[in-house]
Amino acid sequence: MAELRPPKLAGDKLAFLLSLVPYLMDQGRVTVAKAAAHFGVPQEQLREAVRLISVSGIPGETATYQHGDLFDIAWDDFEVRDEIVLTHNVAIDESPRFSGREAAALIAGLNYLAALPEHADSAAGSALMSKLARGASASPTQLAVEVSQTNATLALIRETVAAGVQLQFDYLNARGGRETRRVDPLRVDAVDADWYLRGWCHSREALRTFRLDHISNATITTDAIVRRADEVLLTDRLFEASSDDLVVTLEVEPGALPLLAEYEPELVAPSPTEPEKPGEPTSRVRVVVRVSHFHGLKRLAASMNGTVTVLSPPQARKTIKDWADAALSRYTVL
Amino acid sequence: MASTAQKIPAEERLFSLVLALLATDGGLTKREILSTVQGYRQRYTVAGDNASLERQFERDKDDLRELGIPLETIDSPGDPGNNQNLRYLIPRGSYELPADIRFTPEETTLLGLAALVWREGSLSADARRALLKLRSLGITATEPLLGYAPRLSLRDAAFTPLNAALEKHVLVAFEYLKPGESAARARLVAPLALFQHQGRWHLFAEEPDSKLTKTFLLRRIVSAVTVTSTIFSAPPPGQGERAIAELDTVWNANLATVQVEAGSDAAARLGTRRGSTATPNGDLELHYADANILADELAGFGPEVSVISPTALRDAVIARLQRAAADHG
Repeated sequence: MAELRPPKLAGDKLAFLLSLVPYLMDQGRVTVAKAAAHFGVPQEQLREAVRLISVSGIPGETATYQHGDLFDIAWDDFEVRDEIVLTHNVAIDESPRFSGREAAALIAGLNYLAALPEHADSAAGSALMSKLARGASASPTQLAVEVSQTNATLALIRETVAAGVQLQFDYLNARGGRETRRVDPLRVDAVDADWYLRGWCHSREALRTFRLDHISNATITTDAIVRRADEVLLTDRLFEASSDDLVVTLEVEPGALPLLAEYEPELVAPSPTEPEKPGEPTSRVRVVVRVSHFHGLKRLAASMNGTVTVLSPPQARKTIKDWADAALSRYTVL
Repeated sequence: MASTAQKIPAEERLFSLVLALLATDGGLTKREILSTVQGYRQRYTVAGDNASLERQFERDKDDLRELGIPLETIDSPGDPGNNQNLRYLIPRGSYELPADIRFTPEETTLLGLAALVWREGSLSADARRALLKLRSLGITATEPLLGYAPRLSLRDAAFTPLNAALEKHVLVAFEYLKPGESAARARLVAPLALFQHQGRWHLFAEEPDSKLTKTFLLRRIVSAVTVTSTIFSAPPPGQGERAIAELDTVWNANLATVQVEAGSDAAARLGTRRGSTATPNGDLELHYADANILADELAGFGPEVSVISPTALRDAVIARLQRAAADHG
């Protein structure tokens, strides 16, 4: 969703400069390519930062930035060999501390991931968190996140990746059916409390995403995988859009719109049934979403307590009506 | 002045400011900074009006503090309280990462994953900067056997201003819609912690007059959050953990009994919910913190689940299903 604060670009660049100087001091001599890869920035951005550092310094005794008051680099190495060697340092000796918010973000992130097998040693985990707190310039902001629990399937996925073989399991699909799948595991995604396996599905011959809690009877096969993780580019979208997707129009309370974010709703127009009145900012908005089938939508619409209504197509409305009626029939209050 | 001065990029001015304030032992006055530091000195006029440059300096100070750079001021001993003689500096000990704080390649990998969790909202900038500082140490992370892409959603607009207020220890004001009430009420509270419980963000806060602590669900904050300038004294650490423990007590005390269709999505999700237990006759007992939220969730499962008790929950689910049927009939 929209950021309230515009990104502080100068602040980010400053943090980069203050982090780069101690790294360069520590490395002694390093290629632009290696340093850029280490920080995950384009090589030209790294060269620009080095040029800026090389002309920066302190006002000094004379308050006029004399040569000895400035950083210096080995210019031949830089211009000819694309290597960086700091030959004179000013003011900076060490890496900067984390801010209170930065330390809090890392500590809360570690807590969220505490159930990962990589995280098994909980004593090491709390030692790491206390190191972060001690390494911050202010006490970490009070941000707390529960551990996201996973299940035994995760350990099994790790085993199959280590062995380079396919995983076979029964899968409960979104329509409520069960089927056997064979998958080359590529990555495990977690979104809040939900865990997903991203993989190459041999049954579908396509990339697919599976909820871990819908996987049962998982077994390690002896068949080698055909797709390796480093050969496949995965985006953060758990469910890729397809040209077969169904277009659905919804009417939504503005306050409920953030809860639909994963559907990537496109705003159409305010609803004509409730015209905008001055001082009444709560009139409903109309959005369009794309879904591969209506089954996820019926769960969404029934769980939103009237704040989301599907307007079209009629088949989607009927799917939801049938879903709610079937549920009500369990209470015999139809 | 500014029209004839060469344009110095903001990051160069900020970098030069940090270097100058780190290098000084006794501190620099504002005049010394504006007249000598790169990026200011080009725009400084000796006899003229430097008001816009002074405002620039004020904004730059905020930017440095935003990055966690400790900027301190010392009163002039001979002239206390005189702002013009206030001296600015960055104390080396509070700026530099202590030498004993270093991370192993395995720890660096875990911290990289922890930062990756914050890909949404205002914490993503904090996480990104934390990673820069971590990389500054030159450690190469180990490549994990299995790739992970963890993510916490931060879709509540209230999060960013509340997190800012939390850091500054200032009161916040907002309108809150309590479940079961038809109109929102204005609240003024001291934020103690932000915490995520069962996938939802909450604010743990204290009412300044009654000193009572309250937990607010961010989803139910229906207005923009006003960050006031009224400071309160920082609470001791561990407020988030305390809030989670309090909400867990509520969670454990609330029990609903439902019937779940075997092998369904509802069975998969509700069965693995924390504290869920199957009764001897095949029903499922669930814990919850907020009956309205549970009613939303259960209504979403449609015919895969039906509520046996408590009655209020059963009625709430039926009302939601009737509404969904009516809206789509």
